[in-house]
Amino acid sequence: MAETNKVLDVAGVSKRFGANEVLSDVSLQVDKGETVCVLGPSGSGKSTLLRCINWLERPDAGQIYLNGERVGINNAGIVMGDRDLSKIRTRIGMVFQHFALWPHLTVLQNLMEAPVQVQRRPKAEVRDEALALLAKVGLSEKCDAFPARLSGGQKQRVGVARALAMRPDLLLFDEPTSALDPELVGEVLVVMRELAHEGMTMVIVTHEMAFARDAATRVLFLDRGKAVETGSPEKFFSNPETERARQFIQRYAGDVAGGRR
Amino acid sequence: MSAADIAAIFQGAIVTITLSAIGILIGLPIGLGLALIRWADVPVLGRIVALYVSMLRATPLVTLLLLLFFALPNIGVPMSPVSAAILGLVMSTSAFNCEVWRSALMNFPKDQYEAAQSVGMNAGQRFRRIVLPQIVPVSLPGLVNEMSLLIKVTPVLAVVGVVDITRAAVRIGAQTYEPLPPFLVAIAIYVPIVFALVSLQRWIERRQTRAEALA
Repeated sequence: MAETNKVLDVAGVSKRFGANEVLSDVSLQVDKGETVCVLGPSGSGKSTLLRCINWLERPDAGQIYLNGERVGINNAGIVMGDRDLSKIRTRIGMVFQHFALWPHLTVLQNLMEAPVQVQRRPKAEVRDEALALLAKVGLSEKCDAFPARLSGGQKQRVGVARALAMRPDLLLFDEPTSALDPELVGEVLVVMRELAHEGMTMVIVTHEMAFARDAATRVLFLDRGKAVETGSPEKFFSNPETERARQFIQRYAGDVAGGRR
Repeated sequence: MSAADIAAIFQGAIVTITLSAIGILIGLPIGLGLALIRWADVPVLGRIVALYVSMLRATPLVTLLLLLFFALPNIGVPMSPVSAAILGLVMSTSAFNCEVWRSALMNFPKDQYEAAQSVGMNAGQRFRRIVLPQIVPVSLPGLVNEMSLLIKVTPVLAVVGVVDITRAAVRIGAQTYEPLPPFLVAIAIYVPIVFALVSLQRWIERRQTRAEALA
């Protein structure tokens, strides 16, 4: 692994909410073009890990680097102010469990908002790129619709396109299909698979085991806030190192074996 | 009742409208500012604002006006009737507005805000572009309600000597010994003022629904 290829470096991150230690000394390196699926039972700290990466949650300890640049702490070792933090967040896209589209803006406006307002790119260029992204996620005809008119699967595809419109170096997915009706999960996973194929660097928190097995380049298994295991999906699913992982996989065995999605 | 009397009531109407408009225009943004301080949970300031708001909401406007007009000059702050009236209206309405804005802010979906953070919008952009356009329509009914209450409470400004619609009508009634005509004129003026306000609200709401229906 060449040092220059490393997009994300999470080094020993810990986070507690009150007496509850949600993450304890979790580390994760992600190379350019990797798709890392973060797996684990509910409450294992997966979402918190993701939210610490872009500092929506402030880690109590540990460091996070994006392309070698420290996230959240500036060169003087002080916690970044809103402006510095905002700047670095423009390079980390995030897709939310409940889509989090802005309902007062049309689909196209949702995509254009940040590139125009934050990156100050020319409107015409952003518009063309946004339309291309909507075409890519199969929603060209919905560009002038408001989010309330979309199905869950369509909303989430817009959510992905909105994140991509910023041309991020890294894309974070926080259980992107958990809030969807089962028949709508597939259309979102198709888009994610395509991104993985194109070499987008992604960290995906998910319960879609079949997707993790097929699309991930690597799997990180969290349990009770600890990074228990990491490795290729083939190895993780067929021959896990730990008893906890084995139990976890067994519970989802039907899902994987069936390869339903 | 002479033409001059009617003119005097209209004079009062100008005072009522002007003072109400000033109170509303200053009270709206101040109320929003107070709500933002509480929403952001600014350490000490948040507590002070909470105390200020609950005290002002509990204080009758008459009492507040008398305090401003008679007590402030006592400690060396000169106060004219009009400045006491404006200050009193602004203090009172901003406290009530604060609560309207704050409830809209408290109900604002957290993940929408985080989505704005995640694409790198700074605090100002998040508020201006994402939060404000959505809390305005939500707050509008409550704010307009508070505005019409403010207009209807302006007769109490008479306690510090401001001559508004009602005060003018009382005077004329006392002079002519015919209180009915001046009060009818007074009501005939209040009704369209508040009606105009409510129509404005309806119009804005209709425009919003239409924009959404077109989508």
